[in-house]
Amino acid sequence: MRFIAEDAIPRLLEHLAGGGRTVWAPRVARDSVNTVLFAPWIAGEPVETGAYTHLSAKATLLPPTERLFGFSYLQTAGEERIELEPEEPEENHVLFGARVCDARALAALDALFFPAGGGFNDPGYAGRRSGLTVITLACTTCDSACFCSSFGKGPAETDGSDLILYPVANGFLAEPVTDAGSELVRLDLFQDSPLDKPELAVTDRIETAGLREKFIDLFSDIDLWRQVSEKCLSCGFCAYACPACHCFNIFDEMSGDREGERCRSWDSCMFYSYTLETSGHNPRPEIAHRYRNRIGHKFSYFPANRGEILCTGCGRCIRGCPAGVDIREVIRAVQER
Amino acid sequence: MNTIPKSGINARMPLLPEKASITRVIQETPTVRTYRLVFDDPEMMAAFSFEPGQIGQMSILGAGESTFAISSPPSQKDYIQFSVMKTGVVTTAIHELSAGDRVAVRAPMGRPFPVSAWKGKDIVIAGGGIGMAPLRSLLMHLLDRRGDFGRIQAVYGARTPADLCFAGEREEWERRDDVEFIATVDSGHADWSGRVGVVPGVVESMSPPAANTVAVTCGPPVMIKYTLESLEKLGFAEDQIFTTLERRMKCGVGLCGRCNVGAKYVCTDGPVFSLRDLRALPDEL
Amino acid sequence: MSMNDLIATIKKVLEEVDVVLGWTRSPAAGVAVPARFHTPDEADGAIFDSTCTHNLAVHLPRLKNSKVGIVAKGCDARSIVQLIVEGEVSRDRIRVIGVPCPGVIDVKRAWRCFGFGKKIEDAGGRVHMEGRSMPREEILLHKCHQCQDQEPVIMDLAAGDVKSVTPPPPPDKTGIRERFAAMSIAERREFWREQFSRCIRCYACREACPLCFCRDACSMQTREPHWTGGQVNAIESEMAQQVRTSHLAGRCTGCEECERACPVGIPLMLLLEEQNRIVEELFAYRAGMSLEDKTPLLTYDVNRDGGWR
Repeated sequence: MRFIAEDAIPRLLEHLAGGGRTVWAPRVARDSVNTVLFAPWIAGEPVETGAYTHLSAKATLLPPTERLFGFSYLQTAGEERIELEPEEPEENHVLFGARVCDARALAALDALFFPAGGGFNDPGYAGRRSGLTVITLACTTCDSACFCSSFGKGPAETDGSDLILYPVANGFLAEPVTDAGSELVRLDLFQDSPLDKPELAVTDRIETAGLREKFIDLFSDIDLWRQVSEKCLSCGFCAYACPACHCFNIFDEMSGDREGERCRSWDSCMFYSYTLETSGHNPRPEIAHRYRNRIGHKFSYFPANRGEILCTGCGRCIRGCPAGVDIREVIRAVQER
Repeated sequence: MNTIPKSGINARMPLLPEKASITRVIQETPTVRTYRLVFDDPEMMAAFSFEPGQIGQMSILGAGESTFAISSPPSQKDYIQFSVMKTGVVTTAIHELSAGDRVAVRAPMGRPFPVSAWKGKDIVIAGGGIGMAPLRSLLMHLLDRRGDFGRIQAVYGARTPADLCFAGEREEWERRDDVEFIATVDSGHADWSGRVGVVPGVVESMSPPAANTVAVTCGPPVMIKYTLESLEKLGFAEDQIFTTLERRMKCGVGLCGRCNVGAKYVCTDGPVFSLRDLRALPDEL
Repeated sequence: MSMNDLIATIKKVLEEVDVVLGWTRSPAAGVAVPARFHTPDEADGAIFDSTCTHNLAVHLPRLKNSKVGIVAKGCDARSIVQLIVEGEVSRDRIRVIGVPCPGVIDVKRAWRCFGFGKKIEDAGGRVHMEGRSMPREEILLHKCHQCQDQEPVIMDLAAGDVKSVTPPPPPDKTGIRERFAAMSIAERREFWREQFSRCIRCYACREACPLCFCRDACSMQTREPHWTGGQVNAIESEMAQQVRTSHLAGRCTGCEECERACPVGIPLMLLLEEQNRIVEELFAYRAGMSLEDKTPLLTYDVNRDGGWR
């Protein structure tokens, strides 16, 4: 296998950033109580190869706010007309330091925004996705919120990654998954190594077998949903931290009287306003209804429609929930019902 | 996988609307106005096709985008029509528009009424309030192909005479002898000589035979609820009854997530559902 | 206070209410998480320790149709009083169980420094984690230092001796507050611009705040009024937060829940503490101290005060 020394990582990042590419990497934000986030790498700044990020890497593909197009109202010869300027997505990003749980989520997002079999293509997502290289850090340790072993090959999953780096003494073993990965390990930053891949973490597990149908059976059990969501404050954190949650809002913002932009932003089904209709009717008025939808979308609806579970066991929603909600406890309560 | 028939949506950029202009505004009721519009691109206008029941998104750039049923029939090639009730931010802004104003449109979206499967059948239409909009499109389409169908009965109700839309069309439907059309109001008025009574009651009084008949209803939730009961009382089976669902929508193409009822998306799997499909959905309307 | 005292008190209160809001231990995280106790059996899981950071008062307005018991630290009790003063909670449908609080640990900071779910041990004036230990005042929430509110201002029953606790001393190390105080106005602008560039508009700050009662019609999120843009960027996020902060003038009890809830670690309390200081200076008023108080900015009377000029 190929090996890259820890102190060669900055040079790898420099190489990746060549040609004006944006390299997203885990970094500690300043004055942030040690918040680790994926952010565009800046030469000379340290990257965190040992910590988990508190938000997923999805902003690389689905920015928190994306301009869909600009518009302007023009007056010509006394007549008003409008101009639309569609946004061209920037391409060629590199995601460095994703975890298996981040990379794996790309399959779910691809199934919706960039479906292989046709259907609606999301130009922003598709543009960024087709130019994306994913370099994943394998996990030899985990914490008590991790539960990716519940899904597929767990920490050994290779889907979604181009290159996987396995932490070993003083550096990383590098295993290419795609041609893009193979090309990278040919760089002379990498050397051959006789080392074997390290043992990977074994995380907590939830049982997802049968969940798709079980959820439908329990849909009307409102007492269950009230009970599992009683701590929930109905903020959007879990959706925003999640690598697979992708629902969005669309809105216009003006700058001045004559021009503006149509944007989309992350949205969360946990917000009351998400499904609120102008008549005042809300099909999901209670937190329990909204939490039920969150679970249903992840473990029942999306699997039925697109064949992918919208959860990769990254544990971010558990680590960061201000109310201490643990999605594993919810799934276990559902499975035990 | 969701597929959308006959898409006029820009497949490469489904969230990018087409520029359009208002050609005419009709004040239907104190709170409903009908907007006729044309795409600014004549090629787009010529190529535009849809089927009754499909929906569109109309925006005022700067105010936002809102979902409406297309209320014109497919045969109407000169304009596309939306009937808009003033309720929220975007619809209030739309109500400020007049002929010549510039808007943007994404259409058509969603699954239409399966009209081609209804050939040779009798049809019952029951609409209420602004819910008549998609049924206007449907009824005009059926009348365009009058020979394809048997008896056509239609009821359109509103709370008061002033709340009834489509005055001109109603007059024509009342006059024609190839459609049995009844306009009704929940409560009458001195100068109202028509029917007084709620839509489900009028449907029952018409007692359409269920055999070889399809019923289509759209309107306020409570009207739909009782109309479905009336139709079932008349012997209509779940797969003979169709309705359209409304849900808060944004993208209209099954991406943004919010209009789901269970695993179904109203924007792409609907808005038209048979009662059988509807009853298979989780109870979250 | 023993856990048995607490459990016995909750069971007693359960005789006259539908549910008691308290804490239990999370199996995964090892720390306290909010819990609802409906039955004496459930109440056996109740705990109180220095990881009981959450302000449970946030749930009271959401339980409008129940009689509710609530376990409250001194600071939480101020939020309850403010909710009653503002008419969001009715005094006669709640029972407050006061607990002696020695100051609570900043669990988020502890985890972000030592790893999620690592065992936190608070003993002998020190907090032990992952084989390391530090004086507890270095890892407490800021509000706990020199806390003036340990004895709950509203209380129906006490679990333990609420007068027995002494406020923790201030930390030795200078933190962000001292650095912020020393910044010029231009540096502060720059500081906030950078801080809010991380904001993701998840509104955890708002949802965790017991006094942010607009919730579903919040100006940070609605288009009516359209005071802030929906774009997630530093300018709009800061504006949204400034509006929220202003709306809490004379109402914020300093419970620190917004900052604790913030998943990206924005020090929101710098804004609220400064505003609370100004309110105290101008009106000699601290929110949530008495059921008879009226919030200063809610005392304007168009007849008495001469109307808008």
